[in-house]
Amino acid sequence: MASSWLGYSVLFWFYPFVWLAILSVTQWQFIGTPRFNGLYNFIGVMQDELFWKSMLNVLRFLLYYIPIVLVASLLFAAGLKRIKYGKGFIALSFLLANVSSGVAYSIVFSKLFSEYGPINEFLREWLGFAIPWFTNPDCAMLSIALIVTWKFVGYYGLILYSGMMAIPKDIYSAAILDKTGRFKQLYAITLPMMNAQIIMVLVLAITVAFGIFTEPYLITGGGPLNSTTTPMVVMYEAAFQNMKPSWAATMSIIVAACSFALIWILRRMFEKNIEIV
Amino acid sequence: MKKFKPLSLLIHLAMLTLAITWLYPFIWMVVVSFKDTAQIYTTALFDGRFSLDNYAFLFDNSARADKPFLRTLFNSMFIAITITASVTLTSTLVGYAVAKIQFRGKSAFKNLLIVQMVFPVFMFIIPQFVLMRELGLINSYGAMILPFMMSAWGIFMVSQSFKGTPNDYIYAAKLDHASLWGILRHVMMPLNKSILAIVALFTFSSAWDNFLWPLIVMREAEKMPFSVLLATFSKSYGVYLGPVMAGAVVQTLPVVILFILFRKYFLQGMSLSLK
Repeated sequence: MASSWLGYSVLFWFYPFVWLAILSVTQWQFIGTPRFNGLYNFIGVMQDELFWKSMLNVLRFLLYYIPIVLVASLLFAAGLKRIKYGKGFIALSFLLANVSSGVAYSIVFSKLFSEYGPINEFLREWLGFAIPWFTNPDCAMLSIALIVTWKFVGYYGLILYSGMMAIPKDIYSAAILDKTGRFKQLYAITLPMMNAQIIMVLVLAITVAFGIFTEPYLITGGGPLNSTTTPMVVMYEAAFQNMKPSWAATMSIIVAACSFALIWILRRMFEKNIEIV
Repeated sequence: MKKFKPLSLLIHLAMLTLAITWLYPFIWMVVVSFKDTAQIYTTALFDGRFSLDNYAFLFDNSARADKPFLRTLFNSMFIAITITASVTLTSTLVGYAVAKIQFRGKSAFKNLLIVQMVFPVFMFIIPQFVLMRELGLINSYGAMILPFMMSAWGIFMVSQSFKGTPNDYIYAAKLDHASLWGILRHVMMPLNKSILAIVALFTFSSAWDNFLWPLIVMREAEKMPFSVLLATFSKSYGVYLGPVMAGAVVQTLPVVILFILFRKYFLQGMSLSLK
């Protein structure tokens, strides 16, 4: 039975993997035999302005996304912990955002936040100004980060919640005996004890950030002024509109390496082994 | 505990308000999908005339030829159901082998699974497209289905859960001359319902929602899944806001229904007891 999986992965995993490796060192345009050209693709990607722009955009996205989503899901977990009635309803409302279709919610959000959409009408009426959510280059990435936050808070929050529930109560009792303040309890007990879950959320968030495609492609199309062009959008356009698959394959390897490196650095710096005795 | 009452009430209120806020995009989408396009931005949420016109426009094929929404809806259904059935079945079989059967190279096999899960999907899009072209499957259902028939993640999840089932059940079933399929069907599957439900639900939702891959491998509107047609329709006919919203509702509905039906297993599988 396991061999059926081996057979399947030879066809759909190893074979593409080999192709990926070949493409990255050759010049090819979907026809004929690939022509070897060494590191030419690699240098080409490195010198490409759009590539650097998209990597910068991922960093900007992470800069908005990580703090917002982390704080929001911590608050969500902490709130959920204190809820007695309607826990199921609240958790499911947040999770619903997580399972809903990317195409559908991208369209809905692009209409909700459009220039004359309900959100801006509301702001205009009550606060006297509107926010150019997707049309201002400085704002657009933040708006996308907010939408992705909307999607993932429920999921990340439940991961953190399960970590929070696993902390033994005795530790808090001991801390209260020592007259430890609430904030001290938070950063000396709760956060360190949830290390494993927080790292997991961060790793998931980084993975999401590098693979994001549907939202920018549908909502902003990468604009305005390429401020929301993500590596996925660049790769898609390079491979299937500009017919440069080998260039895009090289880029995908570089992007994957970057995301691995970021995750590695994160784990190296923050991961601790917590044992509950 | 009595003095915390007001605070607890406040937290309940805040969390409930937030939950409604999180649901707001869904509520807006559903309500608006019943309104005339002209009224969407001009009337308050629950004002205006409600009708099924948008849905009729969406699925009425005679008006315009380049929006075969009904056809694509069936495409999506067919593709998502085939993939879900296949992934659930193969994950059960291979997961059982990994968890309960001894064979040579088992630890290497497990490492392979993990390695495969670690590599991001976007690395494989271009080479898999090349593979599909070599197999001559571009613009066919095969291209939409074959690469997703089995899943390392599904096998991993199922085998982790199967490991927790005591071997005694299997021995007992074997004493009763149960076949392999009998063991799976009557022992392993009922005991691991929640993980199978999660694997099936996530597989269905990602197959249903897959956007980039069909955008690449499908050429004809007739064979596209609903999501891609909806996205292209929304891009070129964005002014038909009402029908676009009706399409978004149709696109969202199946996964939401499944999610609500399976919510019990879902929360169990996340090892959460919420009540």
